[in-house]
Order: sequence, then structure tokens, then C-alpha cells
Amino acid sequence: MAKNSNKIVYAVALVLFLGGLGYLIFSGLTQDSVYFLNVSEALAEDRAEIGSARLFGKVSPQNLAVVDGKLGADFDLIDKLEPGKSLRVSYRGALPDTFEPGVEVIVEGAFSSGGGEFVARTLVTKCPSKYEEQSKQMEEGKG
Amino acid sequence: MHLTGYVGLLFSLLAFLSLAGFAGVAAWNRRESALPFVEKGQLIAAGGVLFSTVILLIGLTSRDYSFKYVYDNVDNALSFVYTLTALWGGREGSLLFWEVIIAVSGMVFVATPGYKSLASNTKLFFWMFFLAVQGFFLFLLTSWSNPFIEIIPAPHDGRGLNPLLRNPGMIFHPPLLFLGFALYTIPACAALASSIAGETKSWVTVARNWNILSWIFLTAGIVLGGWWSYMELGWGGYWAWDPVENASLIPWFAGTAVLHTAVIEKRRNALQRTNVFLMSLTFLLCIFSTYLTRSGVIDSLHTFGESGVAQPLFWSMVSWMVLTLLVVFLSERLTHRTLSDFLSRQGMLVIAAWFLLALGMVVTLGTMWPVISQLWTTKSLGLDANFYNRVCLPFMSFLVLIFCFCPWLGWKGGIRDKRGFIGVSAVLVISFVAFYLSGMTNVVAALTAAASTAAIVSIVLLFVFNPALRRGRHNFGVYGVHLGLVLMALGIAFSGPYKVEQEFVLAKGESAVIDGYTVTFTDLVQDGDVGDIKLRATATLEVYDDGRLIGIMLPEKRIYKNYERQQYAEVGTIPGLGDELYSTLLGLTEDDKASFKVSVNPLVNWVWIGGTLMCVIAFLLLRRMPRPGEGR
Repeated sequence: MAKNSNKIVYAVALVLFLGGLGYLIFSGLTQDSVYFLNVSEALAEDRAEIGSARLFGKVSPQNLAVVDGKLGADFDLIDKLEPGKSLRVSYRGALPDTFEPGVEVIVEGAFSSGGGEFVARTLVTKCPSKYEEQSKQMEEGKG
Repeated sequence: MHLTGYVGLLFSLLAFLSLAGFAGVAAWNRRESALPFVEKGQLIAAGGVLFSTVILLIGLTSRDYSFKYVYDNVDNALSFVYTLTALWGGREGSLLFWEVIIAVSGMVFVATPGYKSLASNTKLFFWMFFLAVQGFFLFLLTSWSNPFIEIIPAPHDGRGLNPLLRNPGMIFHPPLLFLGFALYTIPACAALASSIAGETKSWVTVARNWNILSWIFLTAGIVLGGWWSYMELGWGGYWAWDPVENASLIPWFAGTAVLHTAVIEKRRNALQRTNVFLMSLTFLLCIFSTYLTRSGVIDSLHTFGESGVAQPLFWSMVSWMVLTLLVVFLSERLTHRTLSDFLSRQGMLVIAAWFLLALGMVVTLGTMWPVISQLWTTKSLGLDANFYNRVCLPFMSFLVLIFCFCPWLGWKGGIRDKRGFIGVSAVLVISFVAFYLSGMTNVVAALTAAASTAAIVSIVLLFVFNPALRRGRHNFGVYGVHLGLVLMALGIAFSGPYKVEQEFVLAKGESAVIDGYTVTFTDLVQDGDVGDIKLRATATLEVYDDGRLIGIMLPEKRIYKNYERQQYAEVGTIPGLGDELYSTLLGLTEDDKASFKVSVNPLVNWVWIGGTLMCVIAFLLLRRMPRPGEGR
């Protein structure tokens, strides 16, 4: 009898636990999910519908505007696979050390009300970790 | 040299696979006389891996750029220390490093009393699994991840190591993680082997030290990675919930859960199937971690690059999971014991394991969401850091709460010591109210901080009320590790939600105010030709609190000799056990102004102190296993 009641208590606790976990996950999925898009994918979407998004791409050497003495940059973000496709990004925070033309970046933000440019809240360059791809960038980066 | 190194790996591959098959057949037919042959054979095969590793090390230290691996990871300007660390610095080398640790751990395990106490048939099954795992690693190393590729003609200089990786954190962070991952192979294989062979000796006891050591190294690797990203990478903190960061955390949750459920098996001989499953799952998740970081399945801040290992890693995970389920459900001789009261120490350990596994599941779900979401949408959906904070912080808070009360409960139920239970409850309520009223209005953060405070009091009271506890090294180990975790939770509760960060552009002599501190830019010194630094700008930031100078920060901007097109920042800090002031020199302008990112990080150092304590004190938990026939 005691063993049965133990099982019931464990079962109730498990239900409460899973209920709490489920609620937290559900609320997180509905409120904290953002589109992860490459530039070409973002261009193919209705910009008004995208809302908040995380975009992956490369910094174009053309039209890169970094104002001396001010934080941030305006630049064209080009698609990693289709360099012909790009969109304008405006970012007003501190630029990472490794930010430069050609580097892969991840920007998070939303399209401006007119949809003309992507206003980034955060900008991170890909971590120059030790694995393969970045070695090519490093080689190019050598003086 | 290249061919010799490769042949060494190839020899080990064939030897391991043959021996694994031989051990399997012998175990199936209960031909225990085969055991000495397998044991000696694995030593010789492991020697092949060591031999090849030494060849790669010689290539690295002699800067032999005819090795593609050396060319990719070393250059003439690189210091000797970082030349050595390049062994685990590259993709192929890190896999070889992982394999060589497994090989050496096998050589050590065979000589331990724990191994010797196992039945012969269990040992044969152990080798079947263990050598097959090594065979798999060598299969990758001799195909997609070959570190012995030759370049003809050999270049005169290599590509070298990125300056961001020239940091002490980077010397130790990767090998510690790989040590953790690799050492989990022993307990996982021992669990499966014991289960399939119906071993009477508890694998939980036999593999206890290995399990703890794996956990220590994995924990240390994760904590050090956080410190490195905080001090060097400037990602805006110590944890960004990036897929690669998450990859190391997921097996940690499972590994920590099994440490708790293993206690129940040892004390009550229950949860046997659960433990075998969790132990094997932990190892599987180590492979999953590698899959996440090297398959390119998830786009991450890190550029690991696809390397062709995705498919073999994926299928190895599927195979291991099928194998685990078969072993867990088909194994015999497992006793079934019901658990004690829910409100017992045992019950709380089970709940703690639930929480840890749930956290692991949440992080996995969040990390894989861009892939999962593609099942119903063409646009890949991902989750930002808020998702993890929303789900993980309350769970972490409850975990600390469980720890506050767990030690005061009896093993089978009831409150063991009412004084402690009531005292801790009172501290919890009072500290929660105090934190909340003092401005900590984030309820989850206030609850975590209050639970951490109550947990610290709980540990102190335990040692005050129970003199017997003070006599056991093991008790200091158990409660010391938890104290470390609690201090870490306290640091996270404050430094996460209450970090203040601002960016300023200042001329010399100008000041800015952040969170009550006045930061004055007083000087900028430029020098160069220091070691491998070509040019360096060092800013002086004086920090005042209520008009009193509390310290000076010296953030730097550097240009390294071999990387002249890029600038690298070194942060300046005023360390403190309360607020830590932290600054980065972002850039200089032609009109002699400088831009800075300054942040006030409350209690952030408790994250490092707690993390270090967890890893160091856990060594006290290691126990010498009695030799067979030796009394305790």
C-alpha cells in the first residue's frame, strides 16, 4: 500500500514537473523564436512579415561605411553562396575586432518600417576558431 | 614520416576492430581464456596510436610544413607553447587527441583494481565495446580527418594560429573538454558490458572514479571556455547560448544526472537500468556534441567547417542508441526496487536528476530548433538567448532549492534534523524578501540568489550540527562541489540580469558615468615591438566611486606581427568580489578620441570561483578501489 502511494506521489510530481516544463518551453517557443535566414532567403520573403530575424552572410567590401569616432557601420550583407544577392544593414553598436570586409557575420534585428534596410541590434562575427574555414580567412588577413 | 604516421593509425584501426570482434565472439561463447590475448593486444594497438601522435608532435615542434596539419595550424612566429597546443588546435589533431586519450585510458583501466574485480566475461564485453569505439575514431582519422596529409613541395611558413586563440584559456579549454568526453568512454562501456554480461559487481562502483574524473574535466573545460569568452572574445559575457557552447553543456547535464542516480543504486540497489541508460546516453551526447560542432548542421558563431564526418557521426549515434536500448531492455539479473518516499533524500536525488535531464533536453531542443522547425516551415526558425534564460533559469533555481533541503531529509523519508530544516527555510524566506526589497525585482533571479544563500547556510549548518561530517574527506568533497555550484548560481543570478553595459566615445580628460561609477579617460600610450605585438595602444581609464579612486583599467588594442590587417582588443578590468568593472577599447579616432565599451558585472567572479571550487574539490571524491580479495 505504501509503495503504491509512493508511486502516485512520484507520478503527480512528474506531471507537475512536465506541466511546468511544457509551459515554459511553449511560452519560449512562441515568444523567443526568430527566423534564421541567409540573405537570399530573407530577400525571398515578405519583409513586413519577417519581423525579428537572425541573418547570416558576409560583409561586402563595397559600400561599407564606418564613421570614424562613431560606433557602428552601414554595409551590404551578401549571401554566402550567391554573392550577387545582398541587403543593406545598419548597425549602431560596437564593432567586433574581427569585423572587416569579407568576414562572415551574424546580425540580429528587424527590417526598418519601410523595409529598405535591416536594422541590427546585435552583430557578431563568426568566432575565428581553429577549425578549417577561418584558416583561409586568416591567411588572407596576414599582412 | 607522413606515411609512417598514417600506417600507425591504420595498424591500430585494424587491430582494434579485429580485437573487438574477437572479444565479442569470445564473450558470446564464454571463452574466457581469450581475455589475456585481448588485453595485451589492446596495449599493442594503443601503442600504434601513441606512435602516430608522437610523429605528429615531432612534425609540429620541428615546424615541418610538409604536414598539411602543421601548415594549417602553426607558423614560424608562433611560440613553442602554442605550437604544442596545436596538437589539439585543429580539427584532425583534436580528433587524434581525443582518440589517444581513450587509448591511454584503456591502458590505465586494465591495470586498475576496479577492472580486475570484474568477471572475465564482463571484461570481454567491455573490450568489445571499448575497442569498437576506438576503431570508429580511427576510421574517421584514416579517412575524412587524416592528420598526416603531405604537401609537396613543403611551404616555408604556415598559416599559423589566430591571435584570439593565443590565450591561456585556449591552451587548457579544448583539451579539458576532450579529456572529459574521452574518459566517459570507460564508464559507458563498463555499464553496457556489466549489463549484458549480468555482472554481479556493480559497475557504478567500478567506474566511479572514471565517471567523476570525466565530469571534473568536462566541467573545467566548460568553465574555462566561459572565462575565455568573457576575457578574450568580447561576446558580451561568458555564455551566449551559442550552439557550440551548448554542445559541451548537453552531455554535462546527463553526466551530472547520472552522478546523482548512481548514488541511489549504490545505497539502495535501485535504478539499475536507468543508470546504464544514462551513462551510455552521456557518452552518446559527447559524440552528439562533436556532431553539432563539425557537421555544419547548425550555423554557429564558430566556424568549424564541414568535414565529411557528419554522416559517420550521425550513424554512429543511431547505432549506439539502438545498442544501448537493446542492452538496457534485454539484459537480465537486474533487481527491481521501488523508490522511497518522494520527500526523502532519495526522492530529491531523483527529482534533481529529472531537472538536470530536462535542462539537457531544453538546451538540445533549442539548439536543434532550426533543424526541427524545418519539418513544418521552409523558413528556418531559431531560438534566441531569451528562450534558454526563460526555461533554464527557473529550473536552475529549483535545483539549488532542492539542494537546500535535501541534506536535511532522511534516506527513506521524513525530516532528519528539524533544526536545520527550519533554519534553512527561514533563511530562504528572509533572504528572498531582502533581495527583492533591495531592488532585485526579477523574481527568478531573487529566488536563485535566495536559494543560493540558503544553500550556503545549509552547508554550514550541516557541518556545525553533525561533527561526524567533519571527519570524512568524502563529505567535504560532496558539499564542497555543491558549494561551488551554489556560488556559481549566485554569480549567475546577479551578473546575468543585472549587468550594466554602455558604450562611450571620450576625449582625453572626459568622463562618463555608468551605474554610479565615474569613468575618466586620462591617457593613451602607444608602443610596439613587444614580443609578437607589432603595435599597441593602451588607454588609461580611472574609475571613481563617490569621488574616490577605486582603480585603473588599462584596455588595449593590439596589432600582431603576422596579422597586420586586423586589430585585437585586450580587456581591462578592476576585479572585485562585488562589482567587477570591465572595459574594452573599441577604437581610436583621428581627433584623439577613443571609443570604449564599459560594463559593470555584479558578482561575476563568483562564477569563476564557484566553477573552480567544483572542479578542484571534486578530486576529494575519488576513492581507491580495494584490490580483489583486499578488505576495506
